[in-house]
Amino acid sequence: MYTTTLRLSKHMVVLIMSILLCSNAWAQFTATGTVNTEGDEPLVGASVLLKGSTLGAITGNDGSFSIKVPGNSGTLIVSFVGYKTSEFEITSSNPNIEIKLGEEVTTVDEVIIVGYGQEKRGSNTGAVSTVNSDVLEQVPLGSFEQTLQGNVAGVQSIMSNGQPGANVNILIRGQGSISASSDPLFVIDGIPVASGNLTVSAETSNPLATMNPNDIESVTVLKDAAATAIYGSRGANGVILITTKSGTPGKAKVEFRTQIGVNDWAIAEKNRLRGLTAEEYTHLYIEGYQNRSGEDIETIKARFDGQFPDPQTGLPAVDIIPDGNGGYSLGEIRVDTRWLDELSRKGLNQSYDLSVSGGSSNMTYFVSGSYFGQEAPIIGSDLERLSSRANVSIQVSPKFKITNNLNISRTTQNGMNDATRWANPLYNGYLMAPVVPIRDAEGLYYDGHKGFFMGGNNPVRSLAEDGDDVQTWTMNRILDNVSLSYEIVDGLSISSAWAFDLLNYQEFYFRNGRYGDGRNLNGLGTESTRNILNWIGTQTMNYNKSFDGVHNMTLLAGYESQKSSTRSVITTGNDFAHPSLRTLASAAEPNSISSTLTEFAFTSVFARANYNFAEKYFLSGSVRNDGSSRFGANQRFGTFWSVGVAWRLDQESFLQASSFITALKLRASYGVLGNAGIGNYEHIGTINFSGIDYDGNPGGAPGQIGNPDLTWEKSTTVNVGLDFAILNNRLDGTIEYFNRGSDALLLDVPISRTTGFASKTQNFGSLENRGLEITLNANIINGRDLKWSVGGNITFLRNMITKLDEEFIAGTKLRREGEDYQSFFLAEWAGVDPENGDPLWYTDSSRTATTNNFAEAERFLSDKTATPSHFGGFNTRLSWKGLSLSLQFSHAWDQYLYDATAWVIQGDGRFTPRSQTNLVLDRWQQSGDITDVPKFSWGNGSGSNSRNTTRWLHDGTFIRLRNFTLAYNLPQGLLNNAKIRSARVYVRGVNTFTWTREDNLYIDPEAAFSGVINSPVPNLKTISVGVDLGF
Amino acid sequence: MKKFVSILYIGICFFAFSCSEEFLDLKPNEALPIEDAITSLNDLESAAIGMYDGLQSSNHYGRYFVLVPDVMSDDVKQNASANRAKEYAEYGAFPDHFLTQNVWARIYNTILRANILINSDLEVGATVQEEKNNLQGEAYAMRALCHFDLVRLYGQHYGFTPGNDHPGVPIVLEFDEAAEPDRNTVAQVYEQILADLSTAASLLGSDFDTGRFSQLSVKALQARVNLYMGNWTTAAGLASEVINDGTVNLTSNGDYVATWEAGTSPDVIFEVKMNSADNNGSDALGRMYIQDGYGDYLPSSDIVDLIPDGDVRGLLYADDAANLGGIYGTIRVNKWPSQVGEDNTPVLRLSEMYMIRAEARFMLGDEDGARADVDAIRQRALTTAEAVTATGAELMAEIEKEKRIELAYEGHRLWDLMRWQKGVERVDCTAPTAVCNIAYPDNRFVLPIPQNEMDANPNMTQNIGY
Repeated sequence: MYTTTLRLSKHMVVLIMSILLCSNAWAQFTATGTVNTEGDEPLVGASVLLKGSTLGAITGNDGSFSIKVPGNSGTLIVSFVGYKTSEFEITSSNPNIEIKLGEEVTTVDEVIIVGYGQEKRGSNTGAVSTVNSDVLEQVPLGSFEQTLQGNVAGVQSIMSNGQPGANVNILIRGQGSISASSDPLFVIDGIPVASGNLTVSAETSNPLATMNPNDIESVTVLKDAAATAIYGSRGANGVILITTKSGTPGKAKVEFRTQIGVNDWAIAEKNRLRGLTAEEYTHLYIEGYQNRSGEDIETIKARFDGQFPDPQTGLPAVDIIPDGNGGYSLGEIRVDTRWLDELSRKGLNQSYDLSVSGGSSNMTYFVSGSYFGQEAPIIGSDLERLSSRANVSIQVSPKFKITNNLNISRTTQNGMNDATRWANPLYNGYLMAPVVPIRDAEGLYYDGHKGFFMGGNNPVRSLAEDGDDVQTWTMNRILDNVSLSYEIVDGLSISSAWAFDLLNYQEFYFRNGRYGDGRNLNGLGTESTRNILNWIGTQTMNYNKSFDGVHNMTLLAGYESQKSSTRSVITTGNDFAHPSLRTLASAAEPNSISSTLTEFAFTSVFARANYNFAEKYFLSGSVRNDGSSRFGANQRFGTFWSVGVAWRLDQESFLQASSFITALKLRASYGVLGNAGIGNYEHIGTINFSGIDYDGNPGGAPGQIGNPDLTWEKSTTVNVGLDFAILNNRLDGTIEYFNRGSDALLLDVPISRTTGFASKTQNFGSLENRGLEITLNANIINGRDLKWSVGGNITFLRNMITKLDEEFIAGTKLRREGEDYQSFFLAEWAGVDPENGDPLWYTDSSRTATTNNFAEAERFLSDKTATPSHFGGFNTRLSWKGLSLSLQFSHAWDQYLYDATAWVIQGDGRFTPRSQTNLVLDRWQQSGDITDVPKFSWGNGSGSNSRNTTRWLHDGTFIRLRNFTLAYNLPQGLLNNAKIRSARVYVRGVNTFTWTREDNLYIDPEAAFSGVINSPVPNLKTISVGVDLGF
Repeated sequence: MKKFVSILYIGICFFAFSCSEEFLDLKPNEALPIEDAITSLNDLESAAIGMYDGLQSSNHYGRYFVLVPDVMSDDVKQNASANRAKEYAEYGAFPDHFLTQNVWARIYNTILRANILINSDLEVGATVQEEKNNLQGEAYAMRALCHFDLVRLYGQHYGFTPGNDHPGVPIVLEFDEAAEPDRNTVAQVYEQILADLSTAASLLGSDFDTGRFSQLSVKALQARVNLYMGNWTTAAGLASEVINDGTVNLTSNGDYVATWEAGTSPDVIFEVKMNSADNNGSDALGRMYIQDGYGDYLPSSDIVDLIPDGDVRGLLYADDAANLGGIYGTIRVNKWPSQVGEDNTPVLRLSEMYMIRAEARFMLGDEDGARADVDAIRQRALTTAEAVTATGAELMAEIEKEKRIELAYEGHRLWDLMRWQKGVERVDCTAPTAVCNIAYPDNRFVLPIPQNEMDANPNMTQNIGY
């Protein structure tokens, strides 16, 4: 080891000396020239590097450069993003050069990232899509995966709710699992990282939001077996590879980017639900009691006056004036709280990002620091991210390279409870009666309704800056990856990569002692921390060899091991001394304390071989053997594999001459992959001891049923693809057919509750996802000044349960063989009886008879599913000189959405005396009224608010303008004096326009894949302006 | 090259280390594999604690098992804001309602916990055999209570059909993950309950703790089961044994209210203990009644009117004219006043033994004895109350009245009405008019079999009317 260090130092000395030598070279000349596009436009900021040295230059505003060359000749390496890197010879006798850089051909020659390496796209046999930094940079969204929606064929990516920083759900080629995870594997710079919601509490938080999207060079989505089999047991749901930026040799490039904007709700204003006004509510209140028990107006008034005083005057919030004949009119309105308006705001969206990159031929670097802040259009709900990155790569010797990628970040989220819990303030925004004031006579938040109204919830207090409650959770992440690589002999190299992913969560909740959840406890505080340590070591060996110039092969073999441990501490305390002292030190009574530790481990060996004959016929195969702690000793190891073939028809003589076809490749793959996305200990039958105690003594009780035979889900994928480019690359695209069969699905099979258990995890059942992906890109106009391109992708997906011995009902869905996994199983709503305002349902699928008794209405399947028949995106970019306009749309067709909140917030009075949304204004009131909203009655027992009915089902077909950007690149003339390399200003909009097939759809169509919308937290619409500066 | 060798060396070392079986053989940290869980007497004790922990659940004695039959009875009316047990108060329950599903699953899980103890083949030394017997005795008693609770909630009462061959609930005596049992008849379930109780009696030692099953509480439960079965002589005999045992005596008039306020209950024989660590908190039974809780359920005016002035039991109600009014009255139940759910839930009290014996004696023709038992309870609560002089049907009415007052909100009333073949008549009804008076018999007096049980178990049959 000692000698190793010594040798390293020797290299350093040589390195330093060579730098000194170079700068003091005595024979040198100055090379000058310009770098232009093939269309003769100057390329500004292109890198010109003298090969074999650290000398370089960056082209100026007119594309010109000047570089000192030692000796009498040299080779210049010229590169620019989006253009082919090319080399040019230069001599002292001919020191001027006009360089034209060709645009990078985006299909066959592009280098793409694949598992444990990279390949030319032309030789790849799998289904791989790439999104580059230009699409990801400066998108005013919390995390990069949100940008994938509509940009990659076969990928659906949506926020679990609109809370900034909430987890993002991703499906690649449909739902492949039932109880196990359907999330893809995320790999950042070669490290499989923790993803999905990992918080201690029920709040959601996205670990990938710790990443600054501007740090990402590319995101590669691996979709078929040929591409993902190298990830074996974790490849079944697809793999997303994230490659962060690295420096390129040359002068330091400084980029500063900032954007500032406004966040609002993505749902169009006309479609949004609103709460009631005091006048509307008072009428409803009276009508509800009249319909309930025929109460007279005097009794109703007395109750109303008692419940809803105006704290300022002591008089009723609204004067109800009985007319003496059973009728009434409304007088003065003293309290009229528009809860939703009080909770709403225009949120600020801002980001600042500074990065510096560069390097020499021996060392490159990319460092960045950034701030991102996103406020929801709801008070007190926001996300902040501070992130830094340092990627350094050192060529210690010609054969030995060391790279370290380090990312440190912290995100802080403040906000609301998710979903339909009573404490969700936005949910309350509809349910709170507008006759309840926000503040009492003393200016404190009002609590006079706590005896009869949801424990005195006051959503404004819950979220306000000076509010009585706190909900904040932070995530700290350090992600570090050190890798060493050594080239043993030409073509044979080994590398060793070690990565650590440390995630630390800190979650704090405080519920005040005056009203709401903490009112009986004199304040309730919950403090939780969770530390996730995930380490992974990967040792690989690569071998490349070409025989006779036509037999080309590459081999990869590797060994990987991983262990992840999650340790959590949850503490709560109550009885707080002072409402503004909220840490648990001030809690008189420690209420509960608990800690947990859960772990998993993987060990794997893998290999891949690629062979091609004359870059024409390609064959690849990969195999991986995984061992996982998540399965029983009998079933602990599994082997996964794939084979892929490709044929470059364009390389055949009969096509080489074609002026029409530029590229044409046919490829096919087949393989078997696994999914281990289940809990860590599900194969073990257990006796649990946590939370089990009686009369001060700890105890134990059966926790779960063991299943020593539990094993991996297997997915078998067939993929056939055709890549083509025609008309000199003016039009290119991919057509792909896939069929992914998932077998031995890990399923929590319901069993008779008389056993003492509700379900048992078993390998049970099969699913199939098959479909067609089409991606097309066309450069319609490619002039010197005017350019116009369009592109798009569409995925047709059919999901089907292909094997399930016993069908079962899961909430609103029926899981039955032969049906889509997300098929709704509901009683069909038949509207409202105009005679008496009763709710009506069809008795069965024949839809011939109706009933007003929900118990008599059969549930049935009706081809309505949450799985869209097709989805995708469409984009277009128009530019003229420095001005450009980009539009990107995404869509999903024939997906149905079930509003799981409706039975409460539109429950026709089920929960006395909670207010309703404005939809109640269309209610049936008298005989002959034709409407879809039944008679309103407090404590409504008509069944109209029953849950499993199509009354709450909506058509979620939509097209959304996901992104528009109007940008202007400032001309060089203006920038010269300011020493600015490049400058760009732009206006950007996210989710600015949404078309829905259902005219009045009030829920956001981009929500849970299950189609069951549990949370009224809206998605965001953002309009921002930004500046990018390069120095 | 040396560098390469050392890297390779590190790699190989690592390979060897992490590939070992232990690296992948991870065990949970909050649970033990079943095979390691019961290997000592201590583990059996821990399993026993687990059974009682099950009873504490809000889906059993923590709240709903007691609340649901009471809101179905005439003792309780629902407040305007009520929603948690609304479907039951309004006789609109349906098979996939969360309560019927959760209560069923909860109680069967406690049966599983009891069966683990009962079926444990752990051998212990002779010196501690008695302790093992004691724990297994508790488990038999627990299994009996759980079956008794299930059969009352999900099956029509004993005596509903002449042979009691109407459907009860499946009897579960051992764990079988593949079991899909059909329903045993009510007769079979009661037979099993009695069998388990007598096994329990034979195993239990002489220790007494109100929070655990004991010889005394098993006897008290046997008395109640026999009363429900109409075995008057046995019921009266067992009740007498409990009364005469002397371990538990009637709490005095002076201590009566204070005992409730202290979180326990007067003359308690068996109760489910609750403390702040259990923290049923907002889920507690009492919080369904008190104003500082949900305040969803209120006493019906007729039960309040039955309580004479000066009767200490009248002090178990709180005036809340500030928040109530109109048909809701002004009174709240305050039997379990803790805001944080620290009140124990009474299961068996000596007062009930007196009422059991009074009824049994009456049925056996011993009216003097019956009157004496009613007086014991009535005059304890109001020392100046006159002795009962009624005879015949009027005496029975006095027994019914006294039991109603004494054991109100403790989950007895509905079962008593059923046994007496009486319907539910709500005087100040706040439910929809259709369910203000429900004549006996009615299909809806029993809960629907949970939908998730119906879905998972092809042999299960639904109750008529659901």
